[in-house]
Amino acid sequence: MSEVRRDPVIGRWVIVESAEKSMKPADYDKSVHALGQGAVCQFCNGREAQTPPEVDAIREGYAPNTSGWRSRVVPNKFPALRIEGELDRRGNGVYDMSNGVGAHEILIETPHHEKNFADYTIEEAVNVIKLYQNRSASLARDKRFKYIMIFKNYGQSAGASVEHAHSQIIALPLVPKYVAEELEGAHKYFNFRGRCVFCDMIQQEHQDQRRIITSNDAFISFCPFVPRYPFESWIFPKNHNSDFVTMQDQEREQLAGILKDVMLRIKTCLSDPSYNFYLHVKPVDYEEKSYHWHIEIVPQLTRIAGFEWGTGFYVVRTAPSVAAEYLRSAVK
Amino acid sequence: MPELRKDPVIGRWVIIATERARRPGVFLDSEKNTFDDGPCAFCDNQDKEIFSVRPYSGASWRVRVVESGTPLLSNKGSFNRKAHGLYDVVNDYGTHEVVIETPEHIANMADLSQEQIRMVFETYALRYSELEKNDSFQYVIAYKNYGYAAGSRRIAHSRSQIIATSVIPFSAKEKLAGAKKYFVYHERCLYCDMIQQELQAKIRIVAESEHFVAFTPFAPRFVFETWVMPKKHNCDFAKGVVGYEDDLAGLMKIVLTKIKVGLDDPAYNYVIHSAPFHSVERRAGKDSGTKWKTLAEDYHWHIEVLPRLTRVAGFEKGSGFYISSIPPENTAEFLREVKS
Repeated sequence: MSEVRRDPVIGRWVIVESAEKSMKPADYDKSVHALGQGAVCQFCNGREAQTPPEVDAIREGYAPNTSGWRSRVVPNKFPALRIEGELDRRGNGVYDMSNGVGAHEILIETPHHEKNFADYTIEEAVNVIKLYQNRSASLARDKRFKYIMIFKNYGQSAGASVEHAHSQIIALPLVPKYVAEELEGAHKYFNFRGRCVFCDMIQQEHQDQRRIITSNDAFISFCPFVPRYPFESWIFPKNHNSDFVTMQDQEREQLAGILKDVMLRIKTCLSDPSYNFYLHVKPVDYEEKSYHWHIEIVPQLTRIAGFEWGTGFYVVRTAPSVAAEYLRSAVK
Repeated sequence: MPELRKDPVIGRWVIIATERARRPGVFLDSEKNTFDDGPCAFCDNQDKEIFSVRPYSGASWRVRVVESGTPLLSNKGSFNRKAHGLYDVVNDYGTHEVVIETPEHIANMADLSQEQIRMVFETYALRYSELEKNDSFQYVIAYKNYGYAAGSRRIAHSRSQIIATSVIPFSAKEKLAGAKKYFVYHERCLYCDMIQQELQAKIRIVAESEHFVAFTPFAPRFVFETWVMPKKHNCDFAKGVVGYEDDLAGLMKIVLTKIKVGLDDPAYNYVIHSAPFHSVERRAGKDSGTKWKTLAEDYHWHIEVLPRLTRVAGFEKGSGFYISSIPPENTAEFLREVKS
């Protein structure tokens, strides 16, 4: 029998299949994600002139916009938001709008065209995280920006239009809806109980064990009790922290390790699916201590149908405890 | 310059990224909407019949409602709630029905006759009223998945689904809360104001009938998203549609045909948004109607038609922000000009 579960932070209801009837990894009808081995693109080493000039990079001893880099960040040629101008909020009858001020950057994670995050060295993964932090800190200094959204699309069915491994960074003049809902839920819980809802969740998951994927000294990864998607996986710092940018060397290495590990489990278990991951961090200038930053990883296995669009109810055909078991045993 | 626009009901911001419209292959993601050949599970359907429309007793059916073969919720047992530590859990109490919209093997509702579409909407309304009699149900949603990208199987037989739930879904709560907030402040229905503004502005109108209007929303989630709203205020679909079914069917046929012809038969969803069950008699003895005293005045039922031309990527999944590569004024103009 399936169950209807409520997310304790934002209050969303989700239908979750029972463990017995759960769909197995092979049951999902997903388009195979095949990389064009050996292909070359504008993001590859030696083609730096084809991208806009870089805004940041990890490179040793070479001039900007030349080859020899490990990871680099460039402005998006097709930005969703524009860097010029001030935010001008205005109304029109029942509607509100503003011009689309923001920043949209591409983080080219590696010079190797065909490399998957799951196969990165620790150093490569650390470089990516370091640039996430650098760009977050730098964009946060622009007073127009309220939120820095970091995300990755891998594979065409997850919305990636470029094959070469990359993440995207969008600086927004507003706090996005999902984050605002989480902040509000966490704030309410904190006011009511004097504790962080995510810390409580981590503790309950740690005791329960069934949904844990893996953990290390600083981080824990589990399949959420109330997921939106099958095999959805979250990574949380074990210690309460709302700020991702302040993370230091040792912790960064731990994060690189667990992120790479979870990505490898997803790749192995679900035969290299398309996926998205994104960071949920505190907004710029958010003083409250009730939030707990984390990463959400969503393999692209299903198609969202009318019921989900219409109700916000999601239907998840693999129980998270079953998904976690598959992911735990995917890599020894 | 791109624009940020706010949905006036739920407060979701979307990005209308005008420059990106020029990006080559903007709809590269949308695969051609294909169907499988072979036996159809709905031409010869053995699922348990719940309801059917027949011209006279014993005649063959015109519209048929059956229990879903793969139900998301089932009404066996009774509704119960429990806690699981931090989490709230309820059992899968609810219903999941499939509406087989025609005995003929026709894939797209756009290709049904207006009369046939009318019978489908009449059927929805009758099922809503019937399901309302169950006190454990709080919300009913009728929706359609057309085409594989919209979450359907590749079976070329027009059908839709009705689900009754014992909790009020998240998105419905958001819409209700937004409409209520507006009503508290203005003492008017937000949707009525929106309709009035759209009819005056005209730039987002797709089509109009005597009693309904179809327009592209100011802050859409999807390119070519189209809302169909009754001009006359009513919070409740089943009660509000009575007497106007034929008019609605005519407009729905026009909208769906424009989408089919203009956008090369894409996958789409449509969803009917109606108020949760709220009648005074029903609430009396439960919580004495304290919830949503103004519900009948502040909510306004409507249909959202969502063509599925683009994929939802990490930004949308993580932020709840949506990016539209074409402004709704342009999609409305495009659809207006498509012959239907």
